[in-house]
Amino acid sequence: MNMLEYEIVLKIKIIYGVQGMSSWSMYWTFTKKAFLRSSVYRFEVWSRTGSNIIFLLMWGSIWTALYAGRDEAGGVTFTAMLTYIVVSQFLDGVNEAGTPLWEIQEKVRTGDISLELMRPFDVPLRYLFADFGSVAFYMITALLPLYLVIFYFLDLALPTNWLTWVYFIISACIGFLIRYCVEMTFGLLTFFLVETGGIEDIFYFAMSLLSGSVIPLWFFPSWLETIAVYLPFQAIFFMPISIFIGETTGGEVFTSLGLQLFWLFVCYLVLRMVWNRASHKVVVQGG
Amino acid sequence: MTIAKYIKLYFKLVSAGIRAQLQYRFAFVMRIIGMITAYTGTAVTMWVMLYQFQTLGDWNFFEMLFLFALSILSWGFCIILFFHFRSLDTYILNGTFDRFLVRPLNPFFHFMAMKFDIASFGQFLFSIVVFVIVSFQLQLEWTLGKLLFLLGAIVGGVLIQGGLLVIISAFAFWTTKSEQFYWVAMFPARNLTYYPLAIYPKFIQWITAFVIPFGFVNYFPTTVILNKETPYFPDYMGYFSPLVGVLFFGLAYFIWMLGLSRYKSTGS
Amino acid sequence: MSIIEVNNLQKEFMIAKRETGLVGALKSLVKREFVKKEAVKDISFSIEKGEMVGYIGPNGAGKSTTIKMLTGILVPSAGQVTVNGIVPYENRQENAKSIGVVFGQRTQLWWDLPTIESFELLKAIYRVTDQRYKENMSIFQEILGLDEFINTPVRQLSLGQRMRADIAASLLHDPPILFLDEPTIGLDVVAKEKMRTFIQEINKEKEVTVILTTHDMEDIEKLCQRMVLIDHGQKVYDGDILAVKERFGKMRTLVVDLEDANSSFHIKGGELCKQEGNRYWLRFNRNEVSASDLITQISQTHNIKDLTVEEPDIESIISRIYQEGFIEKQTVKG
Repeated sequence: MNMLEYEIVLKIKIIYGVQGMSSWSMYWTFTKKAFLRSSVYRFEVWSRTGSNIIFLLMWGSIWTALYAGRDEAGGVTFTAMLTYIVVSQFLDGVNEAGTPLWEIQEKVRTGDISLELMRPFDVPLRYLFADFGSVAFYMITALLPLYLVIFYFLDLALPTNWLTWVYFIISACIGFLIRYCVEMTFGLLTFFLVETGGIEDIFYFAMSLLSGSVIPLWFFPSWLETIAVYLPFQAIFFMPISIFIGETTGGEVFTSLGLQLFWLFVCYLVLRMVWNRASHKVVVQGG
Repeated sequence: MTIAKYIKLYFKLVSAGIRAQLQYRFAFVMRIIGMITAYTGTAVTMWVMLYQFQTLGDWNFFEMLFLFALSILSWGFCIILFFHFRSLDTYILNGTFDRFLVRPLNPFFHFMAMKFDIASFGQFLFSIVVFVIVSFQLQLEWTLGKLLFLLGAIVGGVLIQGGLLVIISAFAFWTTKSEQFYWVAMFPARNLTYYPLAIYPKFIQWITAFVIPFGFVNYFPTTVILNKETPYFPDYMGYFSPLVGVLFFGLAYFIWMLGLSRYKSTGS
Repeated sequence: MSIIEVNNLQKEFMIAKRETGLVGALKSLVKREFVKKEAVKDISFSIEKGEMVGYIGPNGAGKSTTIKMLTGILVPSAGQVTVNGIVPYENRQENAKSIGVVFGQRTQLWWDLPTIESFELLKAIYRVTDQRYKENMSIFQEILGLDEFINTPVRQLSLGQRMRADIAASLLHDPPILFLDEPTIGLDVVAKEKMRTFIQEINKEKEVTVILTTHDMEDIEKLCQRMVLIDHGQKVYDGDILAVKERFGKMRTLVVDLEDANSSFHIKGGELCKQEGNRYWLRFNRNEVSASDLITQISQTHNIKDLTVEEPDIESIISRIYQEGFIEKQTVKG
């Protein structure tokens, strides 16, 4: 495709965009479609839940063994720590219901994403809205029932103040969006690399350790904590969960939310930049 | 066809597989780097975890590293021999599996010999480096007896994990799915065994000893080598690794053949 | 005894039902319903040594299910199959030695290796002796022209070259029977023509019995004297291709473009079978009425702009058989 065709495609997009006050309803259709489609993959729903439970069990056992009967370590009670891990596994379940990294990479390699450039919608936004649908389906059918039972039977520290719940939900949503931007960015790197071997492993490592998803940042050696604090990953797990278990309270909540918004903004900009580069590469060099 | 002929044919097929893999040298190197990165990541996570707490149960960092490395070492051999079994579903769905059924060979053998993934070089490099570090740190004395015991444990571990991969692939005959079973069942289960089984609830320990005998891959052998206590179990469990491996792999083979005969009656 | 005998062959599958809508979606998470599908209902035929038979039918007619039962991949629900005196599903490995199989869309060659290596591996798998290997390879080089690409990795071969290599690979162990599934699929016209010549020569040279499934009726017309036509798991026709052409060959189609569109008209001896705008297709039996008769009739009431008379090719004959059924259901044994 030459530059002229590229401009035509852009124009089509703009025209559709202008005509489309219905633009949001189009994205909403992707959400609904993804919701319905999720049900076809019933095996995935069950199996993902199974593996989520295994990992919950693993990290629950590990932290129980680390505390070794103590009520408190490093200023954090055992109940709070157990709550931390349970909430973290819940958020992990939510995040895993979205389009996984390997699928984005696959779509780049097979050229599916390049084809979607021709369509009158914004591709990253389209995938985000589709993710909303699959996440909603997974939450309703598996995660919420499962975690209601877990919270009922385990002795966990639930927030008593309804405002804390509100802050947590907002914070978790921002975390979800940040993760989406980061994961999509990593996925789009496939456009520029022949082989992504080490890249995805770095992503998974950052996602599990630096995000605080399995070990809270306050247990890190201080040099590592400093590194983690200056990276966006902690905004995905550590920040929302800290609000939930009451480690982040009062005015700190707003600082925390503000920092999350900042990271969301940065990650979104990076995603946009990488995306523009990638789509430019597709239209100029044919992918 | 005699066993000797099968072995000869195995090496022929395998060497073709290796040559095919080496056509993509860059991908090969990147995969090795990726695997070493991932395992180092898990080791770093263990180190961070024990930075404040010092011990997990009564296991210190280096003991845990040993446990982890033993699992990775036998997994390396598994990748070489059996890792492609997990994607049997793809072969069935796109029809390439039928190819194995129009040849005058045992299909299990033929499928197994089709790939020989030497990228597990990463696993070997990682686990051997860790073994050396841990041996110094814990001042382990490697006698011939201990080395033989370790070898037996590795054979057992390969057969047990390979057996599970074979069973998982056999699921494809019934459900047309296998790769997903690997990622949602075997992958998390393998992660469980990176940590000493003693920290888990009793029923999990029981399952990993008698149902899916993952305990014999690394935990029981490690407790023997490092003289660790095994709550709920006698401390000589580790000696049974090779035997358990042979039995479990036999069972896996039986299930696979059962699945194959079902495939022949449903064709999907 | 015939080299292939199929008697009252049947095969049933259970197939999961797809639920629709949101409620159905949630329901299917828990329980799924199955329906029985008879892929092959009751098929019998026999094939003699050296024959080249076209086994054809629309998608889902039960073609590949039958082939899978003949190759020992599938076990029949009922009925008997013998291939070269062997029951394939009872003695699969033995059967495998006496058949060669080419799936046009999926290669049996080692994708990343030079073509010659696949032959060497297959030599080991089928335990072909050195001498037979040499002889066969020189025959294939001559007929299929393997020389030009024998050292090229399979993934770099053109589709036509790959198909030639695949056919050679399937014949390396001198099987008396060859199954060809869509051997010309995806090839351009020239390559198709070449491929057909290869198959003919192989059939002659090695006296191989060939069973050919294809969507391309030209393959059948050029290669086979006999065709077995199946639909909905049942045999619809089995016999001479010429006989079919003769039976349906007396039908002709007159295509006329009229000046005035959409006028309805009735012509004696001609049956209106299709209409698009001002173009009309009239089918007639040339033994009963002549084309000029029809033209005269039409021109009395309409102005004809253009016209052609179409002879039926085998493809249109067969698509008519699918649509209307084989009217006189007696079969002509070829």
